[in-house]
Amino acid sequence: MEGNIEVLKGAIALIGYGLAAVGPGVGIGIVVGNAITAMARQPEMAGTIRTTMFLGIAFTEALALIGFVLFFIA
Amino acid sequence: MDQLILASEECDVVNEVICAPADVKELFEFTDVIFSIGPLGFTRTIILFFLAAFVVVGLLYFGLRKQRMVPSKFGVVIESLLDFVKNGIAKDIIGPEGARYVPYLTAIFLFILVGNLFEVTPLINFPITSRMAIPAFLAIVTYVIFVFIGFGKNKFRFLLDTVWPKHVPIGLRWLVGLIELVSIFLLRPFTLAVRLFANMVAGHLMLTLLLGSGVIFLSAFPEIGLKALVGIPWFALGLGIYLFEIVVSVLQAYIFTLLSAVYIQSSVHFEH
Repeated sequence: MEGNIEVLKGAIALIGYGLAAVGPGVGIGIVVGNAITAMARQPEMAGTIRTTMFLGIAFTEALALIGFVLFFIA
Repeated sequence: MDQLILASEECDVVNEVICAPADVKELFEFTDVIFSIGPLGFTRTIILFFLAAFVVVGLLYFGLRKQRMVPSKFGVVIESLLDFVKNGIAKDIIGPEGARYVPYLTAIFLFILVGNLFEVTPLINFPITSRMAIPAFLAIVTYVIFVFIGFGKNKFRFLLDTVWPKHVPIGLRWLVGLIELVSIFLLRPFTLAVRLFANMVAGHLMLTLLLGSGVIFLSAFPEIGLKALVGIPWFALGLGIYLFEIVVSVLQAYIFTLLSAVYIQSSVHFEH
């Protein structure tokens, strides 16, 4: 019985991490997609856009990583 | 390596196709003290921590020792790294005042870079930044710096304008102020540390599991016969992830430095 609850907890944590990864996945897609569009339109701004893109990715990614950490804590 | 051997002993390769260690924490806990000076015990992480510091100092010393008109190839690499932090991060993000913060940004960039690259260094294979203590400490240093600059440059307005932003309609002001307060003073250092930590843990875990299960299956060839070939795709996938992890190591060092610069910038130029 004790073992079953442990397995169940692990499975629920896995589902939680999966849910936490959905939003940031979409978000990073939007960030990178728009950055590519911007770079294609104005190649001379590529350096600035790339820096800003990494910033956007870093902020978006944080949510997924918090989910990942919670998966280990759970 | 001991942990890997431990995991392979627990793994029943004859019956199970997927091997999972009984507890993931076993892969990460190096609590055994290797040697100790007085009350200070030196674990593997701490030794690697000092090694990373010495590597950074050594790189800078040997790279910049002889200033010549035409620098050596090694000197060019070090100089371009320093120039990248100075112009690519400090000047671009903070602006002309950024020159004051170049030493700090250079130090954390090189230290995190070396610490992260330990993950893919043969015979070490352990990123020191995958222990929460180290990214947490670096994040706290950044936190102290940007809070001190914020209060030093803007006096008490730094806190007041955060809680009660004048440019927001009055009905929403308390809500925006609350969100800003939590995000600046609590979430910033937390996410800064967790981002680096979780990326390195995830990479280390993937490498250990993929390469480890590849080695375990292939070395069990005499016992389980052709089933051992399952190890080949694991090992191949592990090598692919290995290359990916080199990119992640460099990128995470860059992002940590970049975000430190952005936070410092938001304190230096507080009036958006």
